Amino acid sequence: MADREVVLRTQDLGYAYRPGQYAIRHLSIELGRGEVLGLLGRNGAGKTTTVRLLTTLLPPTEGTAWILGQDLRSGGRGLRSRLGVVLQAESLDFVSVERNLDLYAFMWGVPREVAKSRAEEMLELFELGHVRRRKPWALSGGERRRFQVARELMHDMEILFLDEPTVGLDALARRRILKYLRERARRGLSIVFTTHILHEADMLCDRIAVLHQGSLLATDTPECLKQRFGGAREVRVEFGDALPPAHVQEFVVGLHERGASVLQPEGAVAPGMDTSSFEFRSDKAETLLPWITTWSGSRGHVLERLSISEPTLEGAFLGMIGGGEQDGLDEPETERRTSTNGRPGNPPPPGTSGGLRRDMGVAK
Amino acid sequence: MTLPPILRLVVRNFVSNFDPISVVVRFGQPAVTIVVLGTMFSSIVPASQTGGQSYTSFLVPGMVAFQMVSGGVVSGNLFWLDRRWAMVEQIFSGPFLRSEYLAGLVLTTLLFSLFGVAVMVGVAVPLIGLPAISLLDLATVLATVGLGGIFFAGLLIALGTRLRSANAYFSIQSFLQLFLIFLSTVYYPVGPSTPRALAAVINVNPLTFAAFAIRHAFANQLGPAVLVNLGILGALAAVSFVAAAWGFRSMNLGPIQ
Repeated sequence: MADREVVLRTQDLGYAYRPGQYAIRHLSIELGRGEVLGLLGRNGAGKTTTVRLLTTLLPPTEGTAWILGQDLRSGGRGLRSRLGVVLQAESLDFVSVERNLDLYAFMWGVPREVAKSRAEEMLELFELGHVRRRKPWALSGGERRRFQVARELMHDMEILFLDEPTVGLDALARRRILKYLRERARRGLSIVFTTHILHEADMLCDRIAVLHQGSLLATDTPECLKQRFGGAREVRVEFGDALPPAHVQEFVVGLHERGASVLQPEGAVAPGMDTSSFEFRSDKAETLLPWITTWSGSRGHVLERLSISEPTLEGAFLGMIGGGEQDGLDEPETERRTSTNGRPGNPPPPGTSGGLRRDMGVAK
Repeated sequence: MTLPPILRLVVRNFVSNFDPISVVVRFGQPAVTIVVLGTMFSSIVPASQTGGQSYTSFLVPGMVAFQMVSGGVVSGNLFWLDRRWAMVEQIFSGPFLRSEYLAGLVLTTLLFSLFGVAVMVGVAVPLIGLPAISLLDLATVLATVGLGGIFFAGLLIALGTRLRSANAYFSIQSFLQLFLIFLSTVYYPVGPSTPRALAAVINVNPLTFAAFAIRHAFANQLGPAVLVNLGILGALAAVSFVAAAWGFRSMNLGPIQ
């Protein structure tokens, strides 16, 4: 990345609705050619304002930005003609889907023949062929969103801004669009992408900027963010046999002494309790594994399975914004969980969307 | 060859706004008014009340003048819908200047107004014959409708930049249309028996200035009074256009209902 061509750079960029009331402040980010930058943040974090600033829809009240070598403030039409924007709000003309694509290409000055073939490509790619003669408002929510993205791709651009482009899309459509965007990025298109769906940001983005209450908290690759802010990880240990109460006690105390929070079993050992499997959470889960292996061997217990959850972007995100119970994200209540070790923002438990686990492959 | 941005926007305005039903209603309604109202009232309104001509002959220039309102409404509504459906934002994020979008709307107004003039004259010819007007008279008619269209479009666009609710916009738009047409000399002349308060309002209505200029052009009676009326209309159009331009500069592009 050291020799990458920077196509967008902001320095302390900010926008205040009125004096002292900032929607975004001190925003310093970079975007390389062919790179996908994700903007993550809660509702009202400043993502849409950032997109509107960078597409000249809003004039910055402070800071500077250069896009494709031009000053954002003076770039004007010359700059905008090299950008593509899918806004959060649905925008449409009162003609059929096909005519909308054609009309939009005409407005952008795309030659007629190019527009015609591109429209066919987009209709197929975004699975809109069967609704090509319908008016956009007669489409389903997901179809309308796909139409918005398809229409923007009718013209050439160097940077594409996508403000929550996958809202309302089913998993298959979302995957297809993300794959296409990834492919376009590989061919040199730079993309700025806002989303609430952290998994898709993880899938698509080369780097992620986390915004919170109008400030930039961190910018890094998804992997680095997960490592830096991913928080505690969950470990599940399964022994081949049930542990006697004395060994349960010893094992749990051993885990506690090493800083782990035991999730299962809860409380004192009782008759009928499953004492062959244990779950705990730890900031240093991997350093505990040698001790577990040694301890089980020394006590004559077969370690049947040991799995450790991967750090997730969601965990990192929640860790960064200090979220958890009041995070405002659109997940079911069951996926929100507060840490038992006092740290906010741990990954959700196994079996939920964030609980990606890595099997450590312990043989029987 | 790529058209200049303003023309691309005008084409887009036409394509996106061309709804056969609304076009038929918008231009058909005044055409029917000329035929029905003109015929019926010609038999009961004495020519002495309408400057020595039939009521139909009196009404046609009025309905031609009214096309400034029709053209203005087309652009005002188009702008409102563009704003409501976020096309304003989408266009502003593209290779267009705000001034070009505004100019595109004005040009759209002019074209719709002129089309309306052609329809009105076309409907009137079988009833009153082809008006024997000079090129200067014709230019006066077109200039009057054009300036009037800019005035009304500018007014509605300026309103559209401020209002954030469709109900408010369309209520005010309907009221303004009613006010302009009924408190003007489109349907009836102001005579000695007209109540003074009503006459005062009618005499400051821009549509009255337009109807006055067009009636005189239709009657080959251009003179200083027509120029004054045209001047006033031009000044009103300028003020209204500046208001629309100012509204554009300071417009909040956020969502509206």
